[in-house]
Amino acid sequence: MKLVLVWLGWMAAAAYPAGAVITPSACAPCHRAETEGFAGAAMTHALSSARDSVILRGNPKLVVRLGEYSYEIARAGGESILTVTDGKETLRVPIAWAFGQGAVGQTFVFKLEDRWYESRVSYFSGLAGLDLTLGMENITPHNLLEAAGRLAGPAEMGLCFDCHATNVVKSPAPDLAAMTEGVQCGRCHQGSEAHLQAVRARGTSAPMRKLGELSAGEMSDFCGQCHRTWSQVAVRGPRGIENVRFQPYRLANSKCYDPADRRIRCTACHDPHRDLETSPAAYDAKCAACHSLAARRNGASTRLCRVGVRDCVKCHMPKLDLLGAHRKFTDHWIRIAKPNHPYPD
Amino acid sequence: METVLQKMLLVLALIACASGARAQSDATEEILKRAIALHQAGNIDGAIQAYQKYLAERPDSVLALSNLGAAYARMARYQDAIMQYRRALKLQPLNPSVEFNLALAFYKSGQTETAAGMLEKVHREAPEELQPVLLLADCRLGMGENKKVIELLTPFAERRPDDLAIAYLLGTALVRDDQPGRGQVIIDQILRHGDSAETWLLLGTAKLNAGDFPAALADLTKAVELNSNLPDVYSYYGQALLRTGDPAGATNAYRKALAANPYDFTANLQLAVLLREDEKIPEALACLRRAQQVRPNDLGVRYQLAALAFDDGKLDFARRDLELIVKEAPGYTEAHVTLATVYYRLKRKEDGDRERAMVQKLNAAAQVKQQQGVNVK
Repeated sequence: MKLVLVWLGWMAAAAYPAGAVITPSACAPCHRAETEGFAGAAMTHALSSARDSVILRGNPKLVVRLGEYSYEIARAGGESILTVTDGKETLRVPIAWAFGQGAVGQTFVFKLEDRWYESRVSYFSGLAGLDLTLGMENITPHNLLEAAGRLAGPAEMGLCFDCHATNVVKSPAPDLAAMTEGVQCGRCHQGSEAHLQAVRARGTSAPMRKLGELSAGEMSDFCGQCHRTWSQVAVRGPRGIENVRFQPYRLANSKCYDPADRRIRCTACHDPHRDLETSPAAYDAKCAACHSLAARRNGASTRLCRVGVRDCVKCHMPKLDLLGAHRKFTDHWIRIAKPNHPYPD
Repeated sequence: METVLQKMLLVLALIACASGARAQSDATEEILKRAIALHQAGNIDGAIQAYQKYLAERPDSVLALSNLGAAYARMARYQDAIMQYRRALKLQPLNPSVEFNLALAFYKSGQTETAAGMLEKVHREAPEELQPVLLLADCRLGMGENKKVIELLTPFAERRPDDLAIAYLLGTALVRDDQPGRGQVIIDQILRHGDSAETWLLLGTAKLNAGDFPAALADLTKAVELNSNLPDVYSYYGQALLRTGDPAGATNAYRKALAANPYDFTANLQLAVLLREDEKIPEALACLRRAQQVRPNDLGVRYQLAALAFDDGKLDFARRDLELIVKEAPGYTEAHVTLATVYYRLKRKEDGDRERAMVQKLNAAAQVKQQQGVNVK
């Protein structure tokens, strides 16, 4: 046994020098169950360089016209160039980063004169093309640069990179020197580097915060660091259908939500180490953990559905259209959703 | 013969005693003169030592006590200054210049409310004296009591239309009190005196209040360029930077504001919020404590202190304060939000649900209000 641990320690030492980002392959020898599906998980691909973006590589020429401006994103060598013109003048700028793994789409970011800009057009998978970036509906560009993108302050960009990548120094301005694209193990499991070093050095483990012990409320706040917490949206908005994207906020408003009850925490339904399960039936067992005769027999005072026991989420977590996103989002505000009822907020 | 000699000796001794006492008295007064000379020459340490030496001989000297207070104030030793001024006032209760200096020491040490109370008294005793009025107005501005500033300064502004200090303070109060019309008249009055940092600060403040943040930033940048020592200039510059998405720049600006005035209320509060976001808890706490000295009952400061306690895991402390805050300000959404979260962490689901329902009610009401506002426009 000791020999095995020493060998594991040697292996880690050989492959991962101090300061390296902890990737699934580093954790795999001990945490196979968590790491084997991680390469396919959406969060792993939350950010890619323009050079590596599957969407940009797969779409060598994208065009759209929005008002008086025409947009083109064209592949040239390993680069993707955003071109904006009003017919008189033209601005060309290479795209640096593509945010989002593509289920909804990708938003592009470029840098000009040491300032970051969020592109005014994004790629939407539901459209298989470009359209106005979400959140830019009320911004009227006054010149070509504003038409190309919205100036994003250093703090804002720090937050963007920090959620879409690992090992980002976000303040006072984003420092990407040690960054690894996408959400890697170390982004959520802080202290994993020390943990791995300890394994490498002595074969014993340095303790990390056990995320599995978080209550539903604590986990909502943890995941909400990037997916937005109930507190954040309750104070700062957005209000209306736009907040359907912020699942921890929506979930916390549900009648059945209890911050102390682990059966309603994010990981009760979603395994962050794997890609999203999209079959409604796969979630039935999660609902039945509370809403079933078995749960009732175990002492839970719970209501049972009078309509059915299958595909619960189809009725109780309806998919809603978010204008401009070209995609439906599952509303995590669990409820008896009736047709034509206003969006609860 | 012996008796005569004895008598003569006694007389001589008395004469010697009297002249010795006069010499000693002269020497003591010399100490005071030297202390004043040192004070005037800027040797404050030397002056303090000399005043102390003099006061050891003449503990009831109002002049020396008052001057020692002023020397301490010059060294920013405000608590020592306050002690000396109080001793002087005990000996001579009606001394407006000592009262003013005491108020100034309170003001400089961040005890704005006490300073304002003291200045009200000085103003009542000498209603035409301008200096106490200006300082009182500045205190009231710092405490956010804009209407009181307007009430205080309006008659002075009418009598002294060319006084820029009055115009500046009154204009600021009007702008902050959302009276841009009257504020604009004052701004125009200041503008007639040419391009000044004061003018750009006023214009920038007005634009900040109106929500035109990029324009406010442009004006406040000019104010900083023209006079970076202008009171409050970095504080408002920081706000403009924050509102235009540059929290790092805002943090720097607030630090500069606090270097100039450690008791700048807005800079302390806003910097504390930024530091809290960066998890620099002890520094954030220090800022909030200073802000609380200026405005002891300010709900924003009390809320931030409670939120810091929550961040620090002191749930019961946070709960107690947040309960008091929402009782005083039932419409304070952010406090209800944090209180709900605190209740949930304390496993008091029913209380948490009640607060959450309150948040939904407040947000719904705010949305209706906003929609009505949009329709009216």
